[in-house]
Amino acid sequence: MSVRQGYSPIQMPLLSVFRVITFWISFTFCLGFSFGQNAPKIRGEVFDAVSSQPLIGANVYWEGNTASGVVTGLDGDFEIISVTFPAKLVISYIGYERSVRVIQAKDGEKGLRFFLKPEEMSLEEIIIQERRPDEQIKNLEMGKASVPIETIKNIPALFGEVDLFRSLQLLPGVQTAGEGTTGLFVRGGSADQNLVQLDGAPVYNASHFFGIFSVFNPDALSKVDLYKGNMPASFGGRASSLIDVSLQEGNRNQIHGQGGIGTISSRLTLDGPLFGKNSSFIVSGRRTYADLFLKLSRDENLRNNKLNFYDLSGRFSFFLGERDKLSFSIYEGSDFLGLDDQFGLGWNNWVNSVNWNRVNSETSFFDLQAYYSRYQYIVDINDPENGFEWTNRLSESGIKANWIRVLSDKSTINWGIHSQFYQFSPVDLAPDPESGIGEIVTNPKNGLLNNLFFGLNQNFSPRLSMEAGLRWGLYTQVGEGVEYSYPDDRPERDGEIGTESFDAWEPMQFYQGLEPRLAFRYLIDEQFSVKAAYNRNFQYVQIATNSSAGLPIDRWMLADRYTRPIQSDQISLGLFRNFDNNRWELSVEGYYKDLRNVIDLRNGAQVLFTDQVETEVLSGDGWAYGVETLLRKNTGKTTGWLSYTWSRTWRQIEGVSLNQKYNPRFDRPHDVTLVLNHEFNPRWSAGLTFVYTSGLAVTFPVGSYVVDNQNVPLYPELRNLDRFPDYHRMDASITWRNADKGRKWKGSWNFSVYNLYGRKNPFAYEFRDIYNNDINFNPSEDGDIISSRPGVVMTYLFTVLPSITYNFQF
Amino acid sequence: MRYTLFVLVLFLFSSCQEEVVLPLGSKEELIPTIEAFWTDQGTYNEVRISLSKDYYDSLQTEIIRDAEVMITIPGTDKVIPFQFLPGLNTYRPINPLERAVVGQRYQLNVKWGENIYQSEGVMLEAPILDSLTWQFEEERIFREEGYYIKVYGKVPFEEDNNYRIRVIENDTLKNQRDDYLLFDDTFGLQFFEQGLELGYAFEENDRVRLELFRLNRDAYDYLNELVNLLFNDGGLFSPPPQNPTTNIRVVQGKPEVLGYFMVSPVLVRTVVIQAKYD
Repeated sequence: MSVRQGYSPIQMPLLSVFRVITFWISFTFCLGFSFGQNAPKIRGEVFDAVSSQPLIGANVYWEGNTASGVVTGLDGDFEIISVTFPAKLVISYIGYERSVRVIQAKDGEKGLRFFLKPEEMSLEEIIIQERRPDEQIKNLEMGKASVPIETIKNIPALFGEVDLFRSLQLLPGVQTAGEGTTGLFVRGGSADQNLVQLDGAPVYNASHFFGIFSVFNPDALSKVDLYKGNMPASFGGRASSLIDVSLQEGNRNQIHGQGGIGTISSRLTLDGPLFGKNSSFIVSGRRTYADLFLKLSRDENLRNNKLNFYDLSGRFSFFLGERDKLSFSIYEGSDFLGLDDQFGLGWNNWVNSVNWNRVNSETSFFDLQAYYSRYQYIVDINDPENGFEWTNRLSESGIKANWIRVLSDKSTINWGIHSQFYQFSPVDLAPDPESGIGEIVTNPKNGLLNNLFFGLNQNFSPRLSMEAGLRWGLYTQVGEGVEYSYPDDRPERDGEIGTESFDAWEPMQFYQGLEPRLAFRYLIDEQFSVKAAYNRNFQYVQIATNSSAGLPIDRWMLADRYTRPIQSDQISLGLFRNFDNNRWELSVEGYYKDLRNVIDLRNGAQVLFTDQVETEVLSGDGWAYGVETLLRKNTGKTTGWLSYTWSRTWRQIEGVSLNQKYNPRFDRPHDVTLVLNHEFNPRWSAGLTFVYTSGLAVTFPVGSYVVDNQNVPLYPELRNLDRFPDYHRMDASITWRNADKGRKWKGSWNFSVYNLYGRKNPFAYEFRDIYNNDINFNPSEDGDIISSRPGVVMTYLFTVLPSITYNFQF
Repeated sequence: MRYTLFVLVLFLFSSCQEEVVLPLGSKEELIPTIEAFWTDQGTYNEVRISLSKDYYDSLQTEIIRDAEVMITIPGTDKVIPFQFLPGLNTYRPINPLERAVVGQRYQLNVKWGENIYQSEGVMLEAPILDSLTWQFEEERIFREEGYYIKVYGKVPFEEDNNYRIRVIENDTLKNQRDDYLLFDDTFGLQFFEQGLELGYAFEENDRVRLELFRLNRDAYDYLNELVNLLFNDGGLFSPPPQNPTTNIRVVQGKPEVLGYFMVSPVLVRTVVIQAKYD
């Protein structure tokens, strides 16, 4: 990574937390406001000289009079009170060379444009993060992790595919349920308790290839923020975390491009001005080509198979004058698995949003957002006698308005409303014309959730700050739909005693709940702070599953008469310490989380086609606690972090594990992660990742018995008392870049090895009979059974998996 | 199967398998397993009782030979006693002419030492099994090349549509986990009238015996859960493994029991695959 690339558009401070930015803007504007609005002003804009991206939050002041300063706004613009000319105007920004220009009186008549160059710092001073060096000390956020996209790109990747979620799994407090999957389990929450959103719109199935890859193409992203529970009041709807992903904004000066050709996929991203200087675009695409290789096979059956995914994303931004910005974001991603034209399984996410950001005044801001997110899948069996097409779709539409007002240099408030409409379409299984299979149609499920929220940021003193918020969710399950009745309101299979139909928008069930959020920060000194937080969330949707990995055909459920919304309460306490002029960060956070109304499934539950999914579901409580330690180095030739987490996760659900508490599969008490990046010189760099975690919590048999002529493993009645062996793995990568000869085209090669020392981490243990001392012997195909004995067969994945990727930009 | 493996490999990329020895726990006391079948055909009526064993124990399971077994009809004095037959290692009705009658509810009673177990089931009316045909089929997805049998029948019932088909090929019961054929009316039952294709590829001159059972729901659920458990590979996509939910309850004694009680009519057809019919 060259120094210049270290300040690519992806890394710009543009991408820091929106609330913090607005606070800075508000704070500075508030100071400026005292000079009087009618004084003559100089106007201008500040850009990154390399990427032409606007620089938000750059300091602009007259030399020798820093008190007169302002900071640039959302599109890099500023207004500053005129002084006696000529005078020197100074533009400064962390990580960029300071710009000083002599301003004459006539310059005030036209807008000024400043292009700041990234500082040619020594390699020791490369800053790989997008935030202020002392941000973890000063801000009020707990349980929040912002991972720069450039850092994510430097982490050695499975198949060379840089993956957002797999990178997040390297953070403390985030667990994975198994090798190679992107499912996230945050502080004891299950995977469906994470709200994954792209530019404000939720993404319901954020994975490709059955969870092996996440749906986001990193080239198109500008930032990702992970809130491990303590999220601002303007966000909500999921019990455990918010993964807030933002697309990049295209630059407004010239067309740029970047991409890569990898082992299993290629990608291309273009960005630039759209209609002149006041609008921009970025479009990005990625596609795998496993099926293209299949076409090279001599076997006709293999040639006819399909296995691919693609995703497309784009963002179009329009700057409407000095105060308004309008942006449209679009994402579409699809997977398809097809076998010889006889079987097809495909799934698709379609997400779009429109965002309007308005600066009403120097102390007042307004954001309006509308979005639509749809997820659907199709299973197609092309068989003349039993063929069918099975489809399902769910969608969420929403609109959110957020007002921000700076009351003083010590107080900022925001308030707003967020309305969400869930439409879970009925399962639709349509038989082929000649098929003997009967049609299945269930009833739709709809829900309307209106949220009112209010937040307050208050600095009581230079040392003590508070962030308080309240979110009030008002949820109504609405028609069109059907509700079943059961004796004593206890759903049992085949036990319904009546049904009631509801017309469109007719209320069926109502829930409401207050969600308070409270956080304090006390600054012990400039390098040391203590924080505490409390947070409550309600979640009105969840997945009816008891497996650990998400499937494309998972059944989503809305809160209804029998399924109450999940309630999550979390308290946390943290110590944050920086060392050596903010080169090192150390944090220790402890948390306790309480979960109510989490669900599991009955033994043998059938949830996919039933209209009475409530009869298949069990409900109960959960809790989790832990301590997360993170030591992070942000500058220098070598950057990265070392983390250790100790945590426990529990569930207690009536009807499971003799009603006693048990650990879900993803309970992994010890978790150590080391992430290192090293710059040898501008052409060579390397990355190293090491992961060590406790084994998954699982249930092993305690015997066997014979029934129906089968030798069947006998399982204990208590769940998950056993453990897989501890998991550990090391990945490494090395990147070589072409020498920078001033050409526009810049290329680099990345060589990476996943599981460097070939650790056989178990993916699964199968307890079954082994015939003829051969674990691959199949009695249906391989002949007579000579011997049979019980055995354990371990499946492991990805031992010493090298990959190569060529990346480029122009 | 080749397709299945192909898909699996693609899903799991470079996955590998090997046999390992894990240290496993054991039960302090072995658990009795009861399999009881009460049908309208005497040869099927039996109760097998055995004990569980340690997982790695490759010896035969221990048979319980000293239990008292009977079937009764609740609300009546009717008792159908069973006796243990050492040669068969199973309990059979003392009167072999006793069998299930449609519409009657039966209760299984097993007493072993201080332990008493009970279960109940209703004898349901049998569906109509019209005919069996076979036809040679080329290789298809999830289907190998070979002769495939179609079963034609009719199900004139609105409820209790839970069926199992067992297939015996040349005197060998097909009982691998792939061989279970269980169906209910989730997808309707028209396919049974149009011809239900058995998922086995037969060869010419194979003698195929088909047995059709109509089960009570709890017995059907037990078998479904059993099949799910046999397919449970302990991986991410599998639910936590659990023993199938038995429909046998403990009336007295130690709280655990395994197995199930099935009351069912049985329809049997036998064919010999011949190319000339094709």
